[in-house]
Amino acid sequence: MFSLLSPSNIFHLIEKLISFINSIFFILLLIALSFALIFSPPDYLQGDSVRIMYVHVPSAWIGLASFTCIALLSIANFIFKTKNLIIITKSIAPIGLMFTCLAIVTGSLWGQPTWGTWWAWDARLTSMVILALFYIGYIVSHKFILKEERANKISSIIAIIGLINIPIIKFSVDWWNTLHQPASIKLTGTSTIHSSMLMPLLLMFFVLLLYCALIFLMKYKTEIIRMKKKNLKRL
Amino acid sequence: MIQNFLYMNGYGLFVWAAFSITFISCGIVFYKTQKTLKKYEREFAKEINELSAEKRKSVVENSKIASQVLSSHSKTI
Repeated sequence: MFSLLSPSNIFHLIEKLISFINSIFFILLLIALSFALIFSPPDYLQGDSVRIMYVHVPSAWIGLASFTCIALLSIANFIFKTKNLIIITKSIAPIGLMFTCLAIVTGSLWGQPTWGTWWAWDARLTSMVILALFYIGYIVSHKFILKEERANKISSIIAIIGLINIPIIKFSVDWWNTLHQPASIKLTGTSTIHSSMLMPLLLMFFVLLLYCALIFLMKYKTEIIRMKKKNLKRL
Repeated sequence: MIQNFLYMNGYGLFVWAAFSITFISCGIVFYKTQKTLKKYEREFAKEINELSAEKRKSVVENSKIASQVLSSHSKTI
């Protein structure tokens, strides 16, 4: 299975996927932005500040999902020792870090009009900062540890330790008294968000996911070429 | 009407700041990622072209990636 997904087998597919995403991205972005900024109603309590949710929540979801992916692939790499998995995790990490930082910044911009403060050291906010630190640790270990094998090992350990933080972030609003509201969207059980807000939220999430896919594919391609370049020098 | 849309009942500054920061960051990351990719493609193609004819032939024949990068690079020139 891993050989089927090897870089040389999927390299031509990457180019096609990049052009496909590029061709539909801006249309979808315009639709999502129209819904988020114009067609969705203001909240009865928070007014128009609720529109920040359309960038804050997808950013947080992507930040969490990316790190979970990195950690799970790192575990898989410990078992299967596949170089491709390391290239994938290395390509996901910068996207995850960016969206985690965006979730923190947009959360702060939402916090000021809603809570009256830019920042509070509450459980959800602090655990998100810790997630950003794990991302930084992961990226820095790849950048500054010169021995590749050692860098891979250390970054994988960081990712696996960081995995503990993911359920803490998810359940922090239930375990502790926090300023942050509990989850409105539940995979199991009824969501407490109206469909007029849920639809733009999911649309925006989809558009940002497409953006992530685009960046991931470009970074993955860069990593493959870098690897091939190294091999070329050995000739 | 446009003024109301921008003002957003007093929340405009926060909403526009959140959206601007998000999409400007996305734009910068996209630009930098694309620039790095093009740079690596260019350098890789240049290194292949600098190989001796025999070595170049064997690299292009044995590596799908090398041949694809080389062909896409020659298209852009």
